[in-house]
Amino acid sequence: MATIDIQIDDRHLKATPGATILDICRDNGIDIPTMCHLEGLSDVGACRLCLVEIEGVRKLQSSCTTKATPDMVIQTQTDRLKNYRRITTELFFAERNHFCAVCVANGNCELQDLGYKVGMDHVRYPYLSADCDLDATHPQMVMDHNRCILCTRCVRVCAEVEGAHNWDVMNRGFNARIISGFNTPWGESTDCTSCGKCMHACPTGAIWPKSATMGKLEKNPAMIGELVKKRRMDR
Amino acid sequence: MPKKKIATIWLGGCSGCHMSLLDMDERILEIARLADIVKCPIVDGKELPEVDISLVEGAVTSDEHLREILHIRKQSKLLVALGDCAVMTNVTGMRNFFPLKDVIKTSYLNAPSNDAQGSLPSHPALLKLHEKTYPLQEFVKVDHYIRGCPPDADTIFHVLFELLHDRVPDITSMHTLKYG
Ligand code: SF4
Ligand code: SF4
Ligand code: SF4
Repeated sequence: MATIDIQIDDRHLKATPGATILDICRDNGIDIPTMCHLEGLSDVGACRLCLVEIEGVRKLQSSCTTKATPDMVIQTQTDRLKNYRRITTELFFAERNHFCAVCVANGNCELQDLGYKVGMDHVRYPYLSADCDLDATHPQMVMDHNRCILCTRCVRVCAEVEGAHNWDVMNRGFNARIISGFNTPWGESTDCTSCGKCMHACPTGAIWPKSATMGKLEKNPAMIGELVKKRRMDR
Repeated sequence: MPKKKIATIWLGGCSGCHMSLLDMDERILEIARLADIVKCPIVDGKELPEVDISLVEGAVTSDEHLREILHIRKQSKLLVALGDCAVMTNVTGMRNFFPLKDVIKTSYLNAPSNDAQGSLPSHPALLKLHEKTYPLQEFVKVDHYIRGCPPDADTIFHVLFELLHDRVPDITSMHTLKYG
């Protein structure tokens, strides 16, 4: 198969044409943090954690949505990028209400792991104390907006993999909220098949099963990618 | 070399961080070899003298805590925020989503455990709660942050041991960071 030559962090690499920079990095053991990316779902470049520097391009680019082109020269671990990753992480924690000590996802949360990875010992921005609802109307699951980082993994998995498209995003910026149906209680949804994929795809303690107790949540987001792979006709 | 002085202080927290401090077990003797603990909620001490290190548990919840934290900053060469409440208000910050008077009424009058004899505390000697709780860094410069609810005894020991040897503790790496 034809390959292209690119350079990442001073390493000369061969890549498949059409592959994203993120995929190439992951294939080559180069660690770039992500929250909104999930194997098996389309990429939207929403969380801004995977930004990289590309020589000759003034703006930083999200590596999950940027395809590598021949002779690209890419930096993924500069001080500038690390600084932005820490800032982005802090903003996630400042925007909504994360009380890990009393969270069902404590110890099994991608957002916590991200904080540890970027070395976040405290948040330098004021906490916004957003006024968020909790929707416990679904018989098996709970949606707690206090812990939602708006990665839209739930929206995409429900629309793209389950085909139900129960979730969507309402409003913009600070007021943005994930909604069920047309902003109606999840338990009243006629689209939701109760498959649980959104719960598994959700990287935080925002969507969780009622059967889980504090700190005892178990999720399997990798299952989504496996499912999508198994469904492909050409596998 | 003269022994260094340590103070540990308890603001708006549950004392769990101080329990973790005690969980250092016999390593407290190691600390005591290097420093004198001149103030601590479990020893009797009135005024905070000048100290090299102060470990502060809890958030700033009231007029009294605010006075205290400003005084602590003045008296301390290094101020360490001990535990999630001190760093980000944590459980004590969950009341920030409700008006203070509703919180007080719920606690003292309408609590399910209350026998309808409840009354609102009003003695002049009591501290005056602020409308919201705040982390320490909202008011003073914090030099080091120890995360966790409660923090690990190992991390507390590491921080104290390093600071007492005039080194910078490693508290931002994967194995020492812990939220909740
Ligand atoms: S979702 Fe994750 S980061 Fe947020 S409170 Fe729960 S454990 Fe902490
Ligand atoms: S449980 Fe399944 S169908 Fe229901 S909202 Fe989640 S992903 Fe969609
Ligand atoms: S509920 Fe979970 S998956 Fe959905 S946007 Fe929020 S954090 Fe992402």
